[in-house]
Amino acid sequence: MLNVVLFFLMVSLLLYVILAGADFGAGIVELFSTKKNQQLTKKTIYRVMGPVWEANHIWIIILVVILWVGFPEFYNVLVVYLHIPLTLVLLGITMRGVAFVFRHYDAFKDKSQILYDWMFRFSSLVTPIFLGMTAGSMLSGQLVITDDYANYSFIDLFVQPWFNGFSILVGVFFASLCAFLASILLIGESHANDRKVYVTKSEKATAAVVGIGFIVICYGFYHNITFVTDFIKNPLTVGLVILSFILIFPLIISIKKAKKVTTRLLAGIQVTLILVAAFVTHFPVLIIAYNKNINLLETASPEKVINVLGISLIIGGLIILPGLFHLMKSFKMIKVLDD
Amino acid sequence: MDNLDAARLQMAFTLIFHIVFACVGMVMPFFMIVAHKKWLNTKDVIYLKLTKSWQKGVAIFFVVGAVSGTALSFELGLLWPEFMKHAGPIIGMPFSLEGAAFFVEAIALGFYLYGWDKIPEKFHWFTGVIVGVSGVASGILVVSANGWMNAPSGFDYINGEFVNIDPVQALLNPAWFTQALHMTLAAFTATGFAVAGIHAYQIYKRRHVELHKKAFKIAITFGAVAAILQPISGDLSAKDIAKRQPVKLAAMEAHYETQKGAPLYIGGIVNTETREVTHKIEIPKALSFLAFGDFDAEVKGLNDFPIDVQPNVPIVHYAFQTMVGLGTLLLIFGLVFFVSLVKKSWWTNRKFWLIFTLLVPLGFIALEAGWIVTEVGRQPWIIHNIMKTKDAVTPMPGMIYSFYMYVGLYSILTLAVTWLMMRQIKSLNYPNLY
Repeated sequence: MLNVVLFFLMVSLLLYVILAGADFGAGIVELFSTKKNQQLTKKTIYRVMGPVWEANHIWIIILVVILWVGFPEFYNVLVVYLHIPLTLVLLGITMRGVAFVFRHYDAFKDKSQILYDWMFRFSSLVTPIFLGMTAGSMLSGQLVITDDYANYSFIDLFVQPWFNGFSILVGVFFASLCAFLASILLIGESHANDRKVYVTKSEKATAAVVGIGFIVICYGFYHNITFVTDFIKNPLTVGLVILSFILIFPLIISIKKAKKVTTRLLAGIQVTLILVAAFVTHFPVLIIAYNKNINLLETASPEKVINVLGISLIIGGLIILPGLFHLMKSFKMIKVLDD
Repeated sequence: MDNLDAARLQMAFTLIFHIVFACVGMVMPFFMIVAHKKWLNTKDVIYLKLTKSWQKGVAIFFVVGAVSGTALSFELGLLWPEFMKHAGPIIGMPFSLEGAAFFVEAIALGFYLYGWDKIPEKFHWFTGVIVGVSGVASGILVVSANGWMNAPSGFDYINGEFVNIDPVQALLNPAWFTQALHMTLAAFTATGFAVAGIHAYQIYKRRHVELHKKAFKIAITFGAVAAILQPISGDLSAKDIAKRQPVKLAAMEAHYETQKGAPLYIGGIVNTETREVTHKIEIPKALSFLAFGDFDAEVKGLNDFPIDVQPNVPIVHYAFQTMVGLGTLLLIFGLVFFVSLVKKSWWTNRKFWLIFTLLVPLGFIALEAGWIVTEVGRQPWIIHNIMKTKDAVTPMPGMIYSFYMYVGLYSILTLAVTWLMMRQIKSLNYPNLY
């Protein structure tokens, strides 16, 4: 049953990164657009994301619940030592959700839209940055896990571990990944004469992801960050990264030709490869701290709890996944499957 | 202010807001589907307009409820890591099921909001029903998790360790049913009266009277029925608390001396120095009867409990009095509404509408007071008789700044939602907007 729980953990993480990532990215694309394209993007986002928007974000709740029920001590380390970036993520999620609703449901469309738009775009950028920073901090080897709080300063324990070069770079990398996903999604959702805008954006976003990804690796290597050195040495990881690099070429070609199905499939595969590579490098050690490592499996709850959690997840999955699929299909989100 | 107090205030503050958003988001879909059904049956466009207007309210409250709920699910860990570390595996089941119910709700709402003229009429309406049902299910499951904090079960506590965990038994803890019933009825009462009152105000102002009267009738029917049923649930809760958390009952009643045939106090000012209640109305033997169904039963007073396990008596007592007082008032006006269905002349009297306008906030004040009784009444325990709140708080210092930040954020959020709602209501008076 532990494998079932781990499977749902991985799937929720992947779906959150892809679905919510595209969602965050849409706001980033809007932020980095000209005024005319901003309005176009806003309309397209509403049409595409509106029906599925909330569902995209529930994956993070599922993730949190799996962690706190199934791996309580692992979750405990995150919430204690990464309290500040997680709080900032929460603020971002709150601001973004509220802005999304306000700008689409306000009864009157007047000047207040300007404020909602800026709230939406700004929080779309900072939320994934803080999310990425949180993930980066788990692996940066700078967390200090201790019971002896008096011997360390506030900065040492609660700020420096996440507010450092490596974590910030991972944050920026994740934001660029979101922008990449969104611009590819939007190619297929815009009318033929607007498609050019998103083709250009997709090309730029692809370049950004590759460029920033490369910088993250170089920075980590130069600063001797365990995760990165292990990432480079692990043959499986290297294989996955090489595969994802090779796939960039067909991706760029299909972006240029504005091919809806192929671009989405390739983009999805790219993100999955990167995520799986990062995940397997150190699995099951998913927190690399300065003074000790935390093995996810060692923090697993007693068997009975894992069994009940696994069964709940299977039942939930059976109810939710077909419903979600039907929802996406009904509103033509999964055009890939129609073609 | 120390870290514990700051964390407690932040939790209280976020919960107070989330509860309002979540209740409205949970109950309003029912008004929406009734109006929608009436539109399908009568083809009266006023009902269509009303449905579409309420649907916007549902969407706004759902999202604000969802984001504040997401924040809360994180805060449980961020503020009380030690609690979540031990309690998480035990009460994970209601939370994971709640996640599933919430997911179903989000999917159904996606269908409902965007399904107009796109999916078959009856299926479209049915997705609205699913929104309502899964919303109530979410509420019940979350309250079940809270019930566990009051009535911890489904594990053995040996040498400070939680062993032999049984998540199903924890889900079905002894408090879940009475708490969930009380909360669900409270949500319907509060939202029913609040929404009805907003429409009553529009009728009072003589705006679009026909539409608002239809809206009023739907909302108040839910509110009034729930308000009339609430005392039964309240009685169940009182008997349950008397048995499981006698110190909470004693604090609710500010009952200091253990006695047989204990009187019920109505009102009263608590003097914590002399441990007495002054200026109260006493109903002889009523407390013994309400708590145990026996006029001569012994009710244990606060003086017989160690001082370090007693909650803040004045807060619990005043909150309890507020809840019962306002609940009774709403019950009376629930009955007034049903009488008004016979005495139709009342509906032409502007005072009738003014009174219902004034009732708008009362249900929510009662509901918040009820939560204060539950939560403050449980202190100093975060898990009743097992773990103290002070032992569960985060070791990270400086929680006061986090508290200030949340106060700022939630205040802005509340102002914004209120402003948005006012604009929604105003837009109803522009006939061409829909």
